[in-house]
Amino acid sequence: MSSRFPNAEGAALALVAALALALGLGGCNREARQVRGSPLPDGGLAGVSPTALHVGGPRPFVKDPRAAQYEENAYHIGEGKRLYEWFNCYGCHAAGGGDIGPPLMDDTWRYGGEIEQIRASILEGRPNGMPSFAGRIPDTQVWEIAAYVRSMSGHVAKDAAPSRGDQLGNPPAATQVDRKPMGALTPPEPAP
Amino acid sequence: MRRVFEFALGLAAAAGLAGCDRAPEGKAQAAKAARAGIAVAPAAASPDDDGQWTMPAKDYANTRFSGLTQINRSNVKDLQVAFTFATGTTLGQESAPLVVGDTLYFVTPYPNVLYAIDLTKPGGELKWKFEPKPDASAQGMACCQPVNRGPTYADGTIFYNTTDTHTVAIDARTGELKWKTRVGDFNAGETFTMAPLVVKGKVLVGNSGAEYGARGWLAALDANSGAIQWRAYSTGPDRDVLIDPAEFKPFYPQYRGKDLGVTQWPKDHWKIGGGTVWGWLSYDPELNLVYHGTSNPAPWNHLERPGDNLWTNGVFARDPDTGHAKWFYQFSPHDLWDHSAINENIILDIPWRGRTRKVILRPERNGYMYLVDRTSGEVLAADPFVHVNASLGVDLKTGRLIDNPEKIPALGKTVRDVCPNSPGAKDWSPSAFSKVTGLVYVPHNNLCMDWETKPVSYIKGTPYIGVNPKFKPGPGGHAGEFMAWDPVARRKAWTIPERWPVWSGAAATAGGLVFYGNLEGWFKAVDADTGQVLWQFKTGSGIVGQPTTWRGPDGRQYVAILSGIGGWAGAMVSSNLDPRDPTAAKGFGNMTKDLKAQSSSGGTLYVFALPKR
Amino acid sequence: MRRVATAALCLLLAGCAGVQSSMDVAGRQAGDIKGVWTLMLWVCGVMYLLVLAFLGWTLWRARRPLADAPPLADSALSPADRPMQTALGGWMVLIVVGLLVLTFGSFLVDRRLAEAGARADLNIRVTANQWWWQVEYQHPDPSQGFLTANEIHLPVGKTAKIELVATDVIHSFWVPNLGGKQDLIPGRVNDITLTPTRTGRFRGQCAEFCGLQHSNMALDVIVDSPAAYEAWRARQLASAPPPVTPGQARGLAVVQTAACANCHQIQGTEAMGKTGPDLTHVAGRRSIAAGALPYSRGALAAWIADPQGIKPGAHMPIVQLSPADLNGVLDYLDSLK
Repeated sequence: MSSRFPNAEGAALALVAALALALGLGGCNREARQVRGSPLPDGGLAGVSPTALHVGGPRPFVKDPRAAQYEENAYHIGEGKRLYEWFNCYGCHAAGGGDIGPPLMDDTWRYGGEIEQIRASILEGRPNGMPSFAGRIPDTQVWEIAAYVRSMSGHVAKDAAPSRGDQLGNPPAATQVDRKPMGALTPPEPAP
Repeated sequence: MRRVFEFALGLAAAAGLAGCDRAPEGKAQAAKAARAGIAVAPAAASPDDDGQWTMPAKDYANTRFSGLTQINRSNVKDLQVAFTFATGTTLGQESAPLVVGDTLYFVTPYPNVLYAIDLTKPGGELKWKFEPKPDASAQGMACCQPVNRGPTYADGTIFYNTTDTHTVAIDARTGELKWKTRVGDFNAGETFTMAPLVVKGKVLVGNSGAEYGARGWLAALDANSGAIQWRAYSTGPDRDVLIDPAEFKPFYPQYRGKDLGVTQWPKDHWKIGGGTVWGWLSYDPELNLVYHGTSNPAPWNHLERPGDNLWTNGVFARDPDTGHAKWFYQFSPHDLWDHSAINENIILDIPWRGRTRKVILRPERNGYMYLVDRTSGEVLAADPFVHVNASLGVDLKTGRLIDNPEKIPALGKTVRDVCPNSPGAKDWSPSAFSKVTGLVYVPHNNLCMDWETKPVSYIKGTPYIGVNPKFKPGPGGHAGEFMAWDPVARRKAWTIPERWPVWSGAAATAGGLVFYGNLEGWFKAVDADTGQVLWQFKTGSGIVGQPTTWRGPDGRQYVAILSGIGGWAGAMVSSNLDPRDPTAAKGFGNMTKDLKAQSSSGGTLYVFALPKR
Repeated sequence: MRRVATAALCLLLAGCAGVQSSMDVAGRQAGDIKGVWTLMLWVCGVMYLLVLAFLGWTLWRARRPLADAPPLADSALSPADRPMQTALGGWMVLIVVGLLVLTFGSFLVDRRLAEAGARADLNIRVTANQWWWQVEYQHPDPSQGFLTANEIHLPVGKTAKIELVATDVIHSFWVPNLGGKQDLIPGRVNDITLTPTRTGRFRGQCAEFCGLQHSNMALDVIVDSPAAYEAWRARQLASAPPPVTPGQARGLAVVQTAACANCHQIQGTEAMGKTGPDLTHVAGRRSIAAGALPYSRGALAAWIADPQGIKPGAHMPIVQLSPADLNGVLDYLDSLK
């Protein structure tokens, strides 16, 4: 018996307190998981531009309020990984290395790499061969796929990114890739 | 003394005349054939050389053989660049540079610009160019870069295909558009990459897109108006495939039956069955038959399509006037490996067991060199020319390929070290036949792969594949080979190993040379008898094009090749794919990581000639 | 007393019957398994009773006063030990015989189960996904095969060999009335053979934990008379009937152009997805969503409108259809009998 608890009652009390604390903390979830999605269409792509160039000077990028629940959410990114294969994204972009379409795991973004811009690319299609999936994929799933695409190049926290896949020849897991800034959308240094 | 002098004079005159650039083929060829029992290209399908190169495969027999002898074994080491021309594009340059009269023609990958170069002016001056402006979205439907295998010429007109499924006819002299016909639908996954063939006033074109579940077909357009005369599908009921039981006489019993293009598939699957016709066409004027291959069935995941999947992965013999099929043979029934059977069918007459047989020679993707009787569709021989473990051989009694049961893919399972891999022992890169040596010169691969099968949905407008492949070099460690094959002895005469798959075409000349290029960019002239490299030149980018040679307006012999890496094997470089993903470029990502360090994208026409004396 | 005993027995036996009971044998393989189970029940039951009896006897004997007991330090066996020795020897023989009987019985049944697939009348491939079953009826003529989902029909008396594969995680195929369990393992091909011996409807269940909705991954197995089976088969081979009413036409248009076609297949239409259940004859099935709800138009409406409310975590998303579109889709799907 250590000297910290001179009597059995004190020890028992400490044990109960520790258990209560553990149970209390265990009640916290790793993240909020919304499996349901929205039954109503989410609305359009207002204000999302694929380019960083704005007439009249740079404009701060306005985040879509819906993006937050998908961007760094492990469940949604995992669902996005499943849907990426189910909807044949794999056929043109492989496991991120590219094929018919450009690679998605590098840090080059032709049409912007923020989740809102990726979502716009998926919904609108792009001129050099990206088909438009508007009306074919429910909104929640488009967000999930966009979140997964963002995770392929290390733009997502390591506890949210999917780890090594089970498939043949998978590239290094996104959890092993160093985080990168988004590039053109990073706010410029203020003028001296 | 006088007699000696006359004799010497005669000798000198003969030697001088022999030095002239006159094609000695016809007589010498027949004589040699009679002596040595070598294969012969029949004169109807392969007439004597006129010094031009008016169709991509040189002639209807697809020999890619030139009778010119000015550039030969003794002087090729002095070959040098005569002029170059920038194509303005940097994807895979697969076109053959055609020469008609004093103009050179070639087509670029998307946006499919047709260039006409004036060969009478020094430095390769541009005469005119034609820009069809194909729809940019069609680029997303091209499985292996929106490449173009070039134009063909007939009756004063240049014909070629565009990525967005148009066929165009351009006046060869003025560059004016004669007609433009939309033949396919890129929203259904169809594109055009192949070079057309003009037979009896009909322009024969076939679609690409089996990786998108596009239903394959070969169409004939009227050369004057562009109107579609007939369209023969590769799957579906007999009336679509243009099979008339009265005319269709296949050699093997498994091809006889009603609507096999429907019943050898799960219900309705033939509608998304593939079997596109994106490869080479040959034609025998004596038999009046066009020979063409059909590509793989869709999807690559074979579990989704039980049955033999007729009429994919085979070769058809069709009547060019009506399109009706005369016979068919399937190289790889119920395809397991994307072994598209669209390779060239070289028309030859071969001494076979005491008599001459009319055959087509086909270096096939599944690793076997086939000799098929071109009158009946009977397989005479199928000899492996690379290491093969995906199959155990071809049963010549039934004609069926025997799959290796240990390698048959199952759902979710990865099958390892399958040889040859899906581009096959040889992809589309065309071989050449030398009328002088009787050998076939074959640019090919030495590749194996790991193959994982996954479920896949058909979603129109997206790829329909269902497989993760990962490629690797085959036994020996070299990924490509350029070999000479003796079709009579049925074995390799010699072979040159290459580090990378050999994706360029070949051209053979009566000067005893064979030309080809590799993915690093080296354009080589090789001794046709021994395989010794006699000359090579490093062009600016990897070579995936088709070499051609002709006699220029000044009487000199020229050789041309387009340099610009791309296509399936070169996509890592010119599409700037990420090598960290081994499944990029449908499996090439695993083994072409170092290719980016050795070659960069480009797009230049190189024309070579001997120095002016 | 007798009435109570009889009632209790009836109650006990009634617990054995049912659509998902391995005691209620409806197939030869289940019969074999029940046979070996019964053997084990008797052998182990008798052993158990003997053990209890022996324990009881020794406890009873232990009530003798200590003075009467033989001395412990004696190394030589006293006459009082002989019966004990015999008893223990007999006991050992009994155990060995019992185990041999069980082993032999188990071996015979295992061999019978393994050989059962050698002469199959019917070939089926079942692919397990999270959390539904794809059922593919195979046929030597490839155009005579078809797909369905979550429901298997078998002709009575005929042997069906079922090939088992999985796409994502390990599942287990279990139809208690007809046979035992067999795992479906990604990357591996297993098989199970079923020979039903009486007609009826039975329930199967995934028997290997496979994720959030493992408990809602049921399977309807209906054993038909040969004529009824052929009729069902002919119906399944037929393509989906074309739409008749305007509502159905609207529904087909929505199914083909909206998200449905990405995952589902309806034979004869442009919907050719394979990642979700085949819907060609969905209205003819007993249940939807792998047994989650019995089929009815209302249940289908609830499922499409809010699948996550019924089966949270299932891969069917909320499809965001307008009410008119949803009604059209329901009209159309309800016509696919």
